[in-house]
Amino acid sequence: MGMRKVAIVGAGITKFVRRAQETGKELSWQASKMALDSCELTLDDVDMVTMGTAPDAFDGVHMKGEYLADGAGGIGKPYMRHFVGGGTGVFSPIHGWFHVASGMADICLVVAEEKMSSCHPHPQGAFLTIFDHTTEQPLMPTLIWIFALEMNRYMETYGISKADIARVSVKNKHNAMDHPAAQIPQEITVEDVLNSETLCWPVNRLDISPASDGAAAIVLASERVARRITDKPVWIDGIGFSIDTAYWATRDLAYPRYVETAARMAYDMAGIKEPHKEIHIAEPYDPFDYKELHHMEGLQLCKRGEAARLTADGVTARDGNMPICPSGGALGVGNPIAATGLMKIIEIFLQLRGEAGKRQVPGDPRCGLAQAWGDLMQMGTVVVMRK
Amino acid sequence: MAITEKINNTTVPTFWEGEIPVRYVYTYGLAGEKFFRAVKDKGTFLGTRCEDCDITFVPPKIYCDRCFNKLDKYIDVGITGYVETFTITFHNMDGSEKKVPRVLAMIRIGDTDGGIIHYLDESIDYEQIAIGMPVKAVLKPKGQRKGSIEDIVGFKAV
Repeated sequence: MGMRKVAIVGAGITKFVRRAQETGKELSWQASKMALDSCELTLDDVDMVTMGTAPDAFDGVHMKGEYLADGAGGIGKPYMRHFVGGGTGVFSPIHGWFHVASGMADICLVVAEEKMSSCHPHPQGAFLTIFDHTTEQPLMPTLIWIFALEMNRYMETYGISKADIARVSVKNKHNAMDHPAAQIPQEITVEDVLNSETLCWPVNRLDISPASDGAAAIVLASERVARRITDKPVWIDGIGFSIDTAYWATRDLAYPRYVETAARMAYDMAGIKEPHKEIHIAEPYDPFDYKELHHMEGLQLCKRGEAARLTADGVTARDGNMPICPSGGALGVGNPIAATGLMKIIEIFLQLRGEAGKRQVPGDPRCGLAQAWGDLMQMGTVVVMRK
Repeated sequence: MAITEKINNTTVPTFWEGEIPVRYVYTYGLAGEKFFRAVKDKGTFLGTRCEDCDITFVPPKIYCDRCFNKLDKYIDVGITGYVETFTITFHNMDGSEKKVPRVLAMIRIGDTDGGIIHYLDESIDYEQIAIGMPVKAVLKPKGQRKGSIEDIVGFKAV
């Protein structure tokens, strides 16, 4: 395609917490500084900066991208914010990739931030207005509605039980025990999930990730520069993104078509023909436990309706044949929306470099994938990475 | 198609009213907390300085936005400064006229690179206001300060 190869060469992440004392700018700086320090670069070395951050209504700051610019190292540089709802965090490296692959930048700092604790009584108030203002808002929907409707449809279509789905929450919260940035690592059982408060049937409290504050950052470099910076560059070999309609009642809720479209775009670019064999490790977006299963199927990592069985069989455990969310995911590490997606990218980066510490999956993984999804369950973003 | 009639009846199918039901609880941040504690408890302003870039930030920042240095030495920069620029506001946010116009100014604090946006004291003589005019912050009495920008009543001429 005439594009340059792009590598991830550094990463930084703040702890994900329910309420950070730091401002969004301060969180952004902490993650950005850590990312630059990790590859021994300074802000002077950075050609361009991209910032991923979800709705302004979360932080309570309009034009949040501009507000965060100085914390993200954007001052006096080509700087741009991107925002595709919950898909933002995995779109972040894609946005940066364009800058570097095109030849416009040799080094691009990619930052993602969210400070959801500002929003009271709960970010649900802000989510209300993502729904159609005439046909849906008057019914006072919460975001959990749409997941409850989707989860029920998914369970019915494939004959999956709530217990099958709860295993994802148990696995991810367990995995998060080893993540230093994790907000709610827990050792829980399927029964704990099933017995937790029902919020919007069939969704229980432990089926859901928390609202969080946090930031993450990575450093992207062109091939020539990356090889000077590190012996262990992780290459972005495929990117994909795709959006479906916000008329969500017209769609097949049992299957995330937009994830498939985005994944196929990324696989084509990376030359991947059989994703379930060639992808060794994956971080699909798991704001709800069933979404991990849903996304695995959309990503072609297994057949439709098969993800729950793979989870029950331990295939997706950290020491399984196809580790899924070894970080602990949004369910365990926390879910500061945009920062979550970039946390997943960072997890694959560390895993492929063999630097994931106690979270390291066995078997020397060489190809990994991170995916996020957003807006009204309509946006899919996918990045394929190789070492 | 433009809607030309005046919207009086919001119950007919053409319209309905909505709102985003959120309010916000903002944190001061690490540097902000130091700044407002100093205003509340000591009646003074703090800044942080980046020696490499020769910049003093007021209000303080925990990082230099030019070079990303960590800034953790807080310095007392005092509460005097000068008017960098000003405006006189005659209307409220809803477009109604203010009973008394107010002077909003950007105050450069001491010899720092930082500034504070605030009102000039209501008793100030309009003829006297000028860019470059030296001013000093007027703070509420210590017992009434809450650690907010409203602990500063305004700036008066010195």
